[in-house]
Amino acid sequence: MSRDEIPPGTLYMLILRVLARSGELHGFEIAKSIELLSQDILQVEEGSLYPALQRMLIKGWVTAEWGVTAENRRARYYRLNSAGRKQLTEEISQFERVMGAITRVIQTA
Amino acid sequence: MGSSQWLSELKRRLRNLVTPRAQFDRDLEEEMRLHRDLRAREFRETGATPEESRFAAQRKFGNALRLREEIHQAWGWSWIDDLGRDFKYGLRRLRNSPGFTTVAVITLALGIGANTAIFTLIQQVMLSPLPVAHANELYSLGDDKLAWWGGGLQEDFSTYSYGLYRYLHDHTPEFSDLASFSAGTVSLGMRRKGEQNAATSFRGEYVSGNYFIVFGVDARKGRLLMPADGQPNAPPAVVMSYRAWADRFGSDPQLVGSVLVVKGVPVTLVGITPPEFFGDTLSPYPPDLWMPLTMERVLNPGASLLDHWNEHWLYAMGRLRPGAKPGQVQAHVTAELQQWLKENYVADRYSSDPYVAARYTKDIPKQHIVVMPASGGVATTRDNNRDALRLLMVLSALVLVIACANTASLLLARGTASRLQIAVRMALGATRAAILRQTMAEGVLLAVIGGALGLWVSMATARLIVLLAFRDAKYVPIHTNPSLPVLGFACVISLLTGLFFSMEPAWIASRVQPADPMRGTGRSVGDPSAMPQKSMLVLQAAASLVLLVGAGLLTRSLQRLELRSFGLEPQGRLLAWIDVPRNLYPPARLETVYQQLQQRLGEVPGVMSSSFASSNPMAGGMMNEPISIQGKPPVPKLKDGIWPSENRISAHYFQTLGTPLVRGRVLDEHDTAASEHVAVIDEAFAKSFFPGEDPIGMHFGIQTARHSGDYRIVGIVANAQYVDTKIGLYPTFFLPLLQSERYEDSAEDMEQVNTAYANTVQLDVAGRPEAFMEPLRAALARVDPNITVIRMTSLQDQIAANFDQQRLVARLTTLYALLALVLASVGLYGVASYMAARRVNEIGIRMALGADRHSVVALMLRGAMRPVVLGLAVGIPAALAAARVMASQLYGVKSYDPLILASAAAVLSLCALVAAYVPARRSASIDPMQALRSE
Repeated sequence: MSRDEIPPGTLYMLILRVLARSGELHGFEIAKSIELLSQDILQVEEGSLYPALQRMLIKGWVTAEWGVTAENRRARYYRLNSAGRKQLTEEISQFERVMGAITRVIQTA
Repeated sequence: MGSSQWLSELKRRLRNLVTPRAQFDRDLEEEMRLHRDLRAREFRETGATPEESRFAAQRKFGNALRLREEIHQAWGWSWIDDLGRDFKYGLRRLRNSPGFTTVAVITLALGIGANTAIFTLIQQVMLSPLPVAHANELYSLGDDKLAWWGGGLQEDFSTYSYGLYRYLHDHTPEFSDLASFSAGTVSLGMRRKGEQNAATSFRGEYVSGNYFIVFGVDARKGRLLMPADGQPNAPPAVVMSYRAWADRFGSDPQLVGSVLVVKGVPVTLVGITPPEFFGDTLSPYPPDLWMPLTMERVLNPGASLLDHWNEHWLYAMGRLRPGAKPGQVQAHVTAELQQWLKENYVADRYSSDPYVAARYTKDIPKQHIVVMPASGGVATTRDNNRDALRLLMVLSALVLVIACANTASLLLARGTASRLQIAVRMALGATRAAILRQTMAEGVLLAVIGGALGLWVSMATARLIVLLAFRDAKYVPIHTNPSLPVLGFACVISLLTGLFFSMEPAWIASRVQPADPMRGTGRSVGDPSAMPQKSMLVLQAAASLVLLVGAGLLTRSLQRLELRSFGLEPQGRLLAWIDVPRNLYPPARLETVYQQLQQRLGEVPGVMSSSFASSNPMAGGMMNEPISIQGKPPVPKLKDGIWPSENRISAHYFQTLGTPLVRGRVLDEHDTAASEHVAVIDEAFAKSFFPGEDPIGMHFGIQTARHSGDYRIVGIVANAQYVDTKIGLYPTFFLPLLQSERYEDSAEDMEQVNTAYANTVQLDVAGRPEAFMEPLRAALARVDPNITVIRMTSLQDQIAANFDQQRLVARLTTLYALLALVLASVGLYGVASYMAARRVNEIGIRMALGADRHSVVALMLRGAMRPVVLGLAVGIPAALAAARVMASQLYGVKSYDPLILASAAAVLSLCALVAAYVPARRSASIDPMQALRSE
């Protein structure tokens, strides 16, 4: 089965979306969720996940808190805040606008 | 959030502040590890071996280090990483060239050390507060511009009589407490009770009972003085300084509480001050004993200053209450002072003399008190040393400039050598900014290492400078260990120095065109850094020449000063300061004791002539008295507003000091208390008060017209500089010690009684004056062991002591000039060495083509000496200009003295020649074949 790279500029949106759905996740869970939800078609380039998360922390869309996993290991859990939720709505509407435009271009005979 | 939780959160945050990045990196690392571990487990579940899974997870994850850098960049931290890398790289480069590093570090250490030493002194002398609690609350009444002892109006009041102090104490509620203490110290003979050996000399200070409370000092041992000790009938109690206790009594615990005999009076030593407390004045002569003011009356019966309302001899210092404004306090204190003066001067003292009373009435509104912050104590030492320290600051800054130029030229030379490497780095994509930053990081590193070493240098030199500055000082309460401000200063100056001297080399390095050096591979002759490098050498040579010429001029001037004639015969003269205890010798006994002294001193083999007097020549200070001349109108003050100087002398005084008689006769044994009262004057006195007249036979007296017939002038002696070397000729009159007049005014009468006591002895001896110190002491002891010798010195040394400041400045300028010379030589040597290294190829070719070693040496020397010659060309006019600026400080030497200029230039050239010759010689001894092969 072939896997596709995440289109550029959409990583933030995907992370925000996954967090909005699940509440609190650590890095690996975020990567895993994106893969699962995309039915293994989208694959997060794992390296880029962590710089992206840090940038989101800097922008103030997410908060991070240290917690413990089910196997009793320390993990940093990320959680969406109100700014993040607002950002998510914006990103989705922007994405849909762009996707719609692209679709229209493709489908125009 | 509970308070304990809140506290732990705060703690965590504080910890994060201290090591935020280390913690951050650890967290990131842990987070990423978890990710990889979970991914690896996933692989394992698909059947891979644990090892394979781990590698697969790692491959999938990518380079964690690169990710971390990316994250740091996102946070804006990348510059810290880059800087860290630059420093690491710089350190490696420095380690790889130990020769360069050593020379540069030593250069910087000397430059920074010299500056830090001066800063230490300035900080200690000028800025540091007294070692007492809340020193910033201390304010003094008066600005101590003039330490005045005596009566009359000071205009700008700084000293106070006891009565005036009490009045101010009671009328200034703005001060929580106001203490007073004698201006300066007095010498006292003291011994332990029950011990028979002769009393030794100590320095004592009279202080009010609340003195230690106002200063907030606690006893090291026993107790300190309390207000009760200052009560009139309190048993006499004294406090000793920790230093005197430790040095003179071996910290004997038995001493505290025991009885000491001070000037024959038994007193109880009640306690010892803490070691860091040196008194109210930063001085090389701090007090050993603190005594209540009331002791002054006991030790000087009949001649006590304490009971005289018009004898101003006390400083006043106190703690302002919080909220009190110094400006308002000053206005209030001034008003109180004028009120007191009105009540006492006009109403009481001079009511019988309408002339004087009118003058005082006119002058009282001008009298005032300046309220000054006194966190540093009495300010005289500061004032005396300000100019010298300023000059030293300029000198040390000049040395630092040379050190910077030196290091910059070394860096430039090195930059030249590493141009190829820089070109390669730039070709591989390094930005100019990166090259710039990296070269500067290396410079800052050098400066910081140099600064650390410099701090050590400064500790050594600060002590040296203190020793030079305070000659003969028993103790200097200056700590030369680095304090926090000094450390800060050294840090800042190191960083600035590093940035400063690496700026130009870094700039030049970053301008490298990658292709150029790669094409030439070291064979190029054109070199972009050659010009600035040579200009650095020119600058160094010029600055060194300026310092050398300055040192030469100051040293020559000092020699001339010391050889100058002062109207005295300095050879073979011994001076002593003695104390004839007033409580043991009432005025009536003086005549007998003087006769005994004269006889004993005359019996010492080798003593040709002996005398005693109120004051010794060249010791600074003088006794000024207003005079009235018979048959003339009331005498106006002298031009500069001061009265003529008085000295009370015994027979043979002029003979002993070698002052020639001009006309008439000198004072001799026949001038006794009972004989006619006579005076001898000097030529300056005759010229000032009897222009165009013959003064011999005229009468004059001290103070008012009522006394104008007291003394008949019998002789005129040649002018001599009696006071010190700075104050020139000064009108002086000499009266016999024992011919005192009685005065209605009690203060003046007491001063008259006081002048009958000889404070000094003069001897004219055959041989070294120092050899007569012990015989003099023995002769005095034979008359009475209670007559103590406070100090002895040859007249030559006494004159030399007047030049302490000039000597300090001359010596330090010389020291710094030598330092500059060494630095410039080292710099030249370094640059010449690098030049030689760079030209190995060229030299190889020249030698292969037939050049002999001599011509190679000559070639290299020419190249190295050219900037030095240029430096001389720039430096000579600069030195002439600098010398013109300090011309006013020079004595007996022209600012353009050609000999000094020529010798300075010669010394500089010689050093440069030696510094350049060594590498030139080395490059001439290379094997041409080797040279051609080397890259």
